[in-house]
Amino acid sequence: MAAISGEEAAVKKNTSKKGSVMVVGGGISGIQSSLDLADAGFKVYLVDENQSIGGAMPQLDKTFPTNDCSMCILAPKLVATSRHPNIKLMTASEVKGLQGEPGNFVVTVNRKARSVDEELCTACGDCVEICPVRFVPQLPEEKDVRTEMNDEDVKKVDEVISNHPQDESSLVPVLEDLNEVFNHLPEMVIRYVSQVLDVPLSQVYNVATFFTAFTLTPRGEHTIKVCLGTACHVRGAPRVLDEIKLSLGIEPGETTKDGMFTLETVNCLGTCALGPVVVMDDEYHMVTPGKFGDLIEDFKSGIAKPIPKPEGVKK
Amino acid sequence: MSPLKKISSVKELEQLIDRLEKEKRGWKGKTIVVPGGTCGNARGAGNILKAVNEAVEKEGLKDVKVRATGCIGYCSQEPMILILPERVLYPDLDPARVLEIVQKTVKKGKIVEELLWKDPAGKTISKMEELPYYNKQKRMITGNTENLDPNSISDYLAIGGYRAYMKALNMTPEKVIEEVKSSGLRGRGGAGFSTGMKWEFARKAEGDIKYIICNGDEGDPGAFMDRNLLEGSPHSVLEGLLIGAYAIGASKGYLYIRKEYPLAVRTIRNALTQIRDIGLLGENILGSGMSFELEVYEGAGAFVCGEETALMASIEGRAGEPRPRPPFPAQSGLWEKPTNINNVKSWANVTLIMNKGADWYSKVGTETSTGTMLFSLVGKSNNSGLVEVPMGITLKEMIFDIGGGIANGNKFKAIQTGGPSGGCIPESLLDLKIDYDSLTKAGAMMGSGGMIVMDDKTCMVDVAGYFVKFLMDESCGKCAPCREGLVQMDIILERIKRGEDRGGDIELLEELASVMKDASLCALGQTAPNPILTTLKYFKDEYEAHIIDKKCPAHVCKALITYSIDKKKCVGCTLCATKCPVNAISGTAKKPHTIDPEECVKCGMCHDVCNFDAVEVV
Repeated sequence: MAAISGEEAAVKKNTSKKGSVMVVGGGISGIQSSLDLADAGFKVYLVDENQSIGGAMPQLDKTFPTNDCSMCILAPKLVATSRHPNIKLMTASEVKGLQGEPGNFVVTVNRKARSVDEELCTACGDCVEICPVRFVPQLPEEKDVRTEMNDEDVKKVDEVISNHPQDESSLVPVLEDLNEVFNHLPEMVIRYVSQVLDVPLSQVYNVATFFTAFTLTPRGEHTIKVCLGTACHVRGAPRVLDEIKLSLGIEPGETTKDGMFTLETVNCLGTCALGPVVVMDDEYHMVTPGKFGDLIEDFKSGIAKPIPKPEGVKK
Repeated sequence: MSPLKKISSVKELEQLIDRLEKEKRGWKGKTIVVPGGTCGNARGAGNILKAVNEAVEKEGLKDVKVRATGCIGYCSQEPMILILPERVLYPDLDPARVLEIVQKTVKKGKIVEELLWKDPAGKTISKMEELPYYNKQKRMITGNTENLDPNSISDYLAIGGYRAYMKALNMTPEKVIEEVKSSGLRGRGGAGFSTGMKWEFARKAEGDIKYIICNGDEGDPGAFMDRNLLEGSPHSVLEGLLIGAYAIGASKGYLYIRKEYPLAVRTIRNALTQIRDIGLLGENILGSGMSFELEVYEGAGAFVCGEETALMASIEGRAGEPRPRPPFPAQSGLWEKPTNINNVKSWANVTLIMNKGADWYSKVGTETSTGTMLFSLVGKSNNSGLVEVPMGITLKEMIFDIGGGIANGNKFKAIQTGGPSGGCIPESLLDLKIDYDSLTKAGAMMGSGGMIVMDDKTCMVDVAGYFVKFLMDESCGKCAPCREGLVQMDIILERIKRGEDRGGDIELLEELASVMKDASLCALGQTAPNPILTTLKYFKDEYEAHIIDKKCPAHVCKALITYSIDKKKCVGCTLCATKCPVNAISGTAKKPHTIDPEECVKCGMCHDVCNFDAVEVV
C-alpha cells in the first residue's frame, strides 16, 4: 500500500471524568462492545486501522456453530454503529500513544489522510470507477519456479516447450506432451509452464482440470480405459466396469495400491462395432461381461490374447 | 517409389497426376486390400497383413500389390481382405486361411466358397457390392478407401486427387462459393446449416487474417465417421480445406482432432507433411499467389469442444467453454478474426462437389438434404460399421437391410440418433426418411451421424439416464440451466430407476426440460433434454412400469430386479458359484444352487455363465 502522509491529530480528554470509552479494533467484538456501551449511555470512540469496520467476519460465509449467514448478522450491526449518536467512528486510524490512569487516559491517535471529505462524501463510488490506477495488480515478488525444481525436470519441460511456439495458444499441446512425459501434471510443472508461456497460473490450472486428458495425480504403470460410449453402454459396458472395479478394488480415476493399474473411463473411442471396449495401455480389447478376469490374468503374465469373436455377429 | 519433388505450378501438378493416373490404368495385376483402421487393427488386421505379405512372397507373385488401407466400413466382419479388380471380399478371416486365398483366388482366379459371406440361409456372396450390407449404400465419399493407402499421396494423386483444388484455382473464389451453395450441401456436423452460406459470410467479413477450422472433435458417443474418414482418406479432407481456404481467403487453418483417435492424428499429420513437401502448403502455392498453412491440433478430451466457440477457446489456450453467439465465428472467431468451421465430412464433400459439379451432387439425396450421409450403425444390430447412404433412405432399410436386423434374434425396440442431443425413435416411426428435417420433426436430430440400435434388452429409462450422466459429466458448468438442470434430472432419473419416485416426477422432468431448452447458453444444454423428451414421448410405458409396477421390463435397473436359480434346471455344475464375485451363491456339486439375495450385487455374471439357462431374472 502506498504510504499516505499522516496528519497527527490528538483526541484528548480533559481531566474531568465524562464516561467516554475508546474501543480499539472494529471487528465483530469491537462493534458489539461499542453498541452495548453506547446503549448504556457511554460516549464511545471506535478506532480501526482499516478503511472500514467489520474485521474478518464479512469474509466468512457461515458462522460457527449455528451455520448462520455471517453477513446477515453483521450488516445490521454495521449500520447501527454508524448511526448511533453515542458512537464516534474513527477508521483509518491508529493508536499511537496512551497516557494516564484508569478513568483518566489521554490517547494519541494517528488518523491517516483520506483525501476525501468524510462529511460530504456520499459513498457513491464514482471516484473508484474513474480512477485510472486502480487496476494495478498488487502481486508478491515474482520467484523463479526453477529454483524449486530439480534440474532434470526443468530440462524435460524446456525440451517440450521448445517444440511449440511460446505463447498462450501452445498451452493445451504443451500440457498434453508434459502429461505424457511425467505421466501426470505435477504442481511445479504447472507453475513452470505458467511462468514460461506467460499465462496466468489460474488459467493453466483451469485448462489442466477442464480436459479429461490431464491428471494431477500420478498414474499407475498401466492404464486401463473402459469405453462408456452409447454402443458400449447398451452392450454391457457398465457391467464390465463394475467387474473391473470389483476385481481391482478401485474406482475410475484411481490407481491400485501397488501402482500397477490406473482405471479410467472414456466417453467413446469410436470403435463402437467392437463394444464393449477396454483399452489396456494401447491395445484394444473386446471385453464382454465376465471376461475381464481372463484378460487381466493374461495381461499380467504378458501374453497378448487374440480378440475374441464378437457375440451376436452371424456369418 | 521415389519421393515426389516439390511442385511449383498448376501445370506441373497436372502432368504429375496425368502420369500417375496413366500408370494406374496400365496396371493389370491384382491388388490385395487389407482394410485396417483403429477397429480393423484391433480385430487383427495386422496379422492378416503379415500373412498376406508372407503368402505373396512364398508364391513368388510379381504382379500383385498388397495395400493396407483404412476401414471400408464393415467393422463387424473384420478382419477381412478384398481382392481387386474382381472385388471379392473374404470377411471375418482367420490368418491361417490367407495362404489358401492367395493360392486359389489371387493366383488362379478361383473363389474359396467356404470363406465367403453367407446369408442366414447359407447362400454365399462373393462380390463386395452385392452383399446386403453394401448394396443399398452409395459410397461417394468413402468409396475410394480401398483404392488408396492413406499414407501415400501418390495413391491419392493416381485417382485424380487434388484435381478439384486445381479446378477451384481456375475459378474465382465467389464462383467456388456459388458452386458449393448450389450443391445444397448442409453442414455434416449436425445442425445442417448451408455450407456455402457460411463460406459467403466468412468471405464477406472484413479482416486482415482469416482462419478455417476442420472440426474433428467427434465427441458423440457411438459415432466414428470422422475417425474413419481421417484414417482412410486424409487427403480428401485436406483438399477440401485447400478449396475452402481459397474460396474464403483464409491464410491459416487448423485441424482439430480429438486425442482419443491416435491413428487418425498420425495419419493426418503424415498427410500434412506430404502436401507440404510437394508444395501444396506454404507461400504462393503452385504459383497461384495463394498462401496457406495448416496445423493439427489435438483436442484434450472434452465433448463440449465440438461446439464451435468452445473449440476456438481451446485453440486459443483456454478451457473449452462456449460463449454466446452472436458474434458468429464468421465475424469474430479465432482470436477475434473471421473464422469458418466445418465438420470433417463437410470438407470431404466439398472435394467431391468441386470434382463432379454441383448439379451432379444435388441430384443425390432429397430436395432439402442433398448428397449422402455417413452413419455409424452400431449397437444391437447384426451388422455394424460405417454406412454411407443417400439422404432420404428409411430407417427400416437402414436397420433391417443394411444392419441385417437385430442380433441374437431379439426384438427391435428403438434407434437412437444424433448422440446425446438426439433422441430415440420407436418402431412405429421406422418408415421415417433419414434427412435433417424429418429427424428433427420426430424429436431426434441428424447429429454427426451416430445410430445406435437398441433391442428389448435395453431399458429406455436407463438410456435416458445414461445420456444425462454423460452430459452432466461434459457440461462445462458456465451456465446454470445446463449445470444444475442436468444434476436434478440425474437425481430424478436415479430415483425412478430405484423405484423410489416421489409422484409427479415425470411432470417435473418435463418442466425442467423446457427451462433448459429455453435458457441454456449453447447447443449442449439446449438439446440436452432431447433424450428424456423422446423416451417420455415414445416409451412412457417403461417409465410407468418403473414408477407404478416397480419393475424394469428390460431387466437392467439393478434395484428393481432379483436373480434366482431355477431348481429344476440347475444341475449343480458350480460354474456360477465360482464366477460370483461376492460369493453369494452356495450349494454342493451336482445339487441345485441358491443365491443369497442379501449378498447378491446383481452383477448378472451367473446369468451370463450358466450353460443351462437356470438363472432367472425377475
